[in-house]
Amino acid sequence: MTERGPGQAPDDSALYVFAVCDAPDPAAFGGLPGVAAGQPLGRLRFGALTAIVQTVRAADFTDEVWQARMADRDELERYARAHHDVVSAAAACCPTVPLPLATLYHGEDRARQALLDETERFRTALERTAGHSEWGVKVYTADLPAPDPSPSPPRAEAPAAGSRPAPGAGLAYLERKRGVQARRERRHEDALRLAETVETAFGALSAAGRRLRLHAPELVGKGHTQVLNATYLVPDHRGAELQVLARTLRNTTGARIDVSGPWVPYSFVGEV
Amino acid sequence: MEREVVPWDNPEPLSGPIGVPLVDLLDRLLATGVVISGDLVIAIADVPLVRVSLHALLSSVNERVPAPWADGGPL
Repeated sequence: MTERGPGQAPDDSALYVFAVCDAPDPAAFGGLPGVAAGQPLGRLRFGALTAIVQTVRAADFTDEVWQARMADRDELERYARAHHDVVSAAAACCPTVPLPLATLYHGEDRARQALLDETERFRTALERTAGHSEWGVKVYTADLPAPDPSPSPPRAEAPAAGSRPAPGAGLAYLERKRGVQARRERRHEDALRLAETVETAFGALSAAGRRLRLHAPELVGKGHTQVLNATYLVPDHRGAELQVLARTLRNTTGARIDVSGPWVPYSFVGEV
Repeated sequence: MEREVVPWDNPEPLSGPIGVPLVDLLDRLLATGVVISGDLVIAIADVPLVRVSLHALLSSVNERVPAPWADGGPL
């Protein structure tokens, strides 16, 4: 951990800013690699606040390089976790505002000026999140094993080529389709209601809540559908209550409810 | 990288050896934060190209699988 003096980085380097803190303990970052191997993490003072920074090679963070990185799952994961590790270390020792992945400046002077310009927003975010943690809540419904076969008549033998369908086959087909559609709508409404129930319950013990985008079916896996991906800013002393609530809701709704946390309040430091 | 400073008293099984599921991490890392303008590239939430490649990567909610809600989230 190095204290950054004034100065401009050489042209081929840039300054990566992880987070802004109140009063970070330098010892908290020992041994963390950050996003650039071999470069120590540093502190950059601006006004009364401190940014956690690291000098990186500018060539590693050009548009093209970064896009390629974002498209490579392993690289993306490596950078996301490295960033998260530094943010978590900062948050463990003092109130912290995480910055988005890959926030970079041409050197310390530029960074200091840009951060100073945003001091008010950092202050607001620090005040809003002090004494709070973020908790993720995801809700899933179990998929039906298979389409309900009972209302549909047994399938007739495949007609020989050129033969006509049996009388009434078209009507039966339409009714079957309508049944499928009605069931789909009912399940959709049930899912919406379930999501609202869970959202209301967690919202009641939170200072703020947000819905995140739903995860794709490929990520959720077979057998379940995600109906809510939400995240809440919860006072630290209510963390245990949140776990109890999750258990209660699992029992009353029968739904799968995954809780993750406590997170550094990533989702609640911006404009919410 | 074993260092997990913020403790997780999560009763659910966590996917992956490092603890925090990547997809949940990305939900938070890429979509949020105080977006300030950096010099070089990227406040990621503002970069459509990155968003596009992430969509390809994570196959998030797309046209084929409409989200039940209009405001599907920050990404």
